[in-house]
Amino acid sequence: MKKLLSTLTVAATMVLGSSAMAADYPTKSVDMIVPFSAGGGNDTFVRALQPLLEKQLGQDLVIRNIAGGGGAVGTSRVAASNADGYTMLAASNAMLTLEAMGNVAFTHDDFDFIAKVIEEPYVIAVGDNDKYTDLASLVEATKDGTRVRVGVSGVGSSAHIAAVAMQNRTGANFNIIPYPGGSETISAAMGNHVDAVVLGGSELRSALESGRLTGLAMSYAERSDSLPDVPTFQEAGYDLTLTVWRGIAAPKGIPEEVEQQWVEAIQQIVADGSYEETAANLGTQLSPLYGDELDTFIDNSADVMREAAGDLAK
Amino acid sequence: MIAGYLDGLGMVLQFGTLLAIAGGTLLGIIMGALPGLTSAMAVALLLPVTFGMPPVMGIGMMLGALCGAGASGSIPAILLNIPGTPSSVATTFDGFPMAQKGEAGRALGLSIVASFFGGVASMVILSLLAPPIADFALRFGAAEYFSLSVFGLVIIASVAGKSLLKGLIAGLLGFFVSTIGTDPITGVDRFTFGELSLLTGINLLPALIGLFAVSQVLKDAFEYDPNQRLKDSGHRIDVARPRFMETLRNWRALLAGILSGSVVGPVPGAGGSIASLVAYDQTRRFSKHPEKFGTGHAPGIVSVESANNALLGGALIPTLALGIPGEAATAVLLGGLMIQGVTPGPMLFDDQSGIVYGIFLAYLVANIFMLLIMCLGIKLFIRVLMVPRKQLLSAILVLCFIGVYGVDGDVFNLYLMLGFGILGYFLNRYDFGTAPVILGLILGPIAESNLRRGLQAFEGDWTPFFTRPISLTFLVIAVGLLALTLWQNYRTRRVPATSSEKGE
Repeated sequence: MKKLLSTLTVAATMVLGSSAMAADYPTKSVDMIVPFSAGGGNDTFVRALQPLLEKQLGQDLVIRNIAGGGGAVGTSRVAASNADGYTMLAASNAMLTLEAMGNVAFTHDDFDFIAKVIEEPYVIAVGDNDKYTDLASLVEATKDGTRVRVGVSGVGSSAHIAAVAMQNRTGANFNIIPYPGGSETISAAMGNHVDAVVLGGSELRSALESGRLTGLAMSYAERSDSLPDVPTFQEAGYDLTLTVWRGIAAPKGIPEEVEQQWVEAIQQIVADGSYEETAANLGTQLSPLYGDELDTFIDNSADVMREAAGDLAK
Repeated sequence: MIAGYLDGLGMVLQFGTLLAIAGGTLLGIIMGALPGLTSAMAVALLLPVTFGMPPVMGIGMMLGALCGAGASGSIPAILLNIPGTPSSVATTFDGFPMAQKGEAGRALGLSIVASFFGGVASMVILSLLAPPIADFALRFGAAEYFSLSVFGLVIIASVAGKSLLKGLIAGLLGFFVSTIGTDPITGVDRFTFGELSLLTGINLLPALIGLFAVSQVLKDAFEYDPNQRLKDSGHRIDVARPRFMETLRNWRALLAGILSGSVVGPVPGAGGSIASLVAYDQTRRFSKHPEKFGTGHAPGIVSVESANNALLGGALIPTLALGIPGEAATAVLLGGLMIQGVTPGPMLFDDQSGIVYGIFLAYLVANIFMLLIMCLGIKLFIRVLMVPRKQLLSAILVLCFIGVYGVDGDVFNLYLMLGFGILGYFLNRYDFGTAPVILGLILGPIAESNLRRGLQAFEGDWTPFFTRPISLTFLVIAVGLLALTLWQNYRTRRVPATSSEKGE
């Protein structure tokens, strides 16, 4: 009896203790792991969000770039850290791509996804808009057996997988050429060293605005405000919907209250419009998603990636 | 255009903006001088600070950090033989020997003034010629990158030291190390042994710090001669002050640096690390006294340092005119520009709002602040040499660890750094040299991936490598320089007595 009592006391203390801990969360600065070097899309996204989140959470957010392995090192590190809410991940498609390529030990089930904040479409763009006036002419150009040279950023990257998915759905014949990063890919297209590129909308934004490159199609279900002139694959009659998303994730099993605090913080930032202009300037748009809806979205995206990555491996 | 500059001037000449630029420059100087901390990190740290600022103020602050870090990388290179960044590798060739001769103040003075002139000249070139140079950079496809890297390999002959053969062996070692990681075209893992951190290959910075800094610390620790101390104390450290006239007297080296920085700097992905090496190589090759290079020869320092800051202006050309950043630091800067709502591209130069002129002027002001701060600090920097060796070596090692950990926050890189340190110690001890390894490590991936990318794009046809004009030009120059090197080697071997007398 005495033993039971003491067990109960310990249990009660633990429960009370943890809820008390979660209630004053955060009591110290929070580490935000960016699994890429400074200057990438993930890094810019979260650095722009940093001051707003600090205001909402009332604590410092320390951004740590743990790059390497195309995001594998930093993401693995977060998956293995304590689920106490003091280590968070700037998440994006890249983690699903890594999972689909099968080089890493984690899956998306090792994380609690807190929020999706912004998204952008994949865009296929060309440098020579006289030769390729629309998606149909690009597909048509490969019918006689010649291959269209398509540049992507990084071998096995999500853009690479998206390009494979586009090739499969349109039946075009692509010669997919991987470049080290977005800027090298864009300059190759501007210099006509490749015919087309597949990249995220924000990376292509300034090239499209200046008219150096022309967007032929993008992977949203409907046209977006940030790129109103670029038609969708759906419009061209191909069933292809993919998005590049960025958000916040935590190691699996963080306290309910902590997750709630983060969701409320982000909801508040979305509601007061303080991030909207920044998101638009970066060529992305706010597309907040939380809770069960978010989990369904992540599961679906992971399936699409796995399917396309399977084709890549063939 | 005049009206644009006047508008820009109005934006720059405000107390807050000037303060922001000065603050950014100071941060850049501090971070550039510490081995391992890079200008990209300095700019990334400033990024959230700039959000609330007007565009020219925020961008000026980040440009200041770029400019400061570009100039201060020479301080550890000269005083300690430790390049803080890949682009200051070449500063060690003549800067450190000059410091060893007791002329550290002269070396610093030359490098500061050369950096300033390089920065200002590149700002002028940037403001006048950005769109055409950007278009030229776009003509670099896979074939051109490949030929550029072949051309770069000829530099090994200049940095090889005593034996060309040993230099080539060290260069090949760098080439081999660069094959570690994910295959750039097919995505297969090579030599990674299941280590996640190796998936993206050997990171350049741990290799650089290991080969130069850690190996130098090992050398100083193992080969410490107690009698040396007495000799050292006899050295009088010369007066540290900026050397304007002497820099200008070496105007040919200055010009070579500015040209190389402005022409090679804008090529995305390749320019940053090799522009200063190209400048050193060309200055040495066409000098009347090539044998003096490597012994503390002033033109060697002037060409490298002017190239170092000229390439920043060069790297800004594709960033501003096309929205294509050449390397990490300008990539962060581009993110900052876009958050400010400034969209880079040709339209930026037609824009009448004066923002682009404000950016040019802010870069000019950043160079002036850099000169001022460095001139004020020069007497302080040189005191590093007065720190007793035991304390200095351990402090350097601590800084190396901090810097390399800061790159990616990955502990694996620390082991990598120590491994390269031991390798570097033995390479130096047996006269192979460490500079060729770094050159191989930088050029290897460019050569390999572009050769294969080119073959894939040309559907297996190799003739475009020889028929595309820019590509052919680089290859012909490379073969020409190689022939010249072999001939010079042959000649010096035929008359060894006379040349060694001259070298003494």
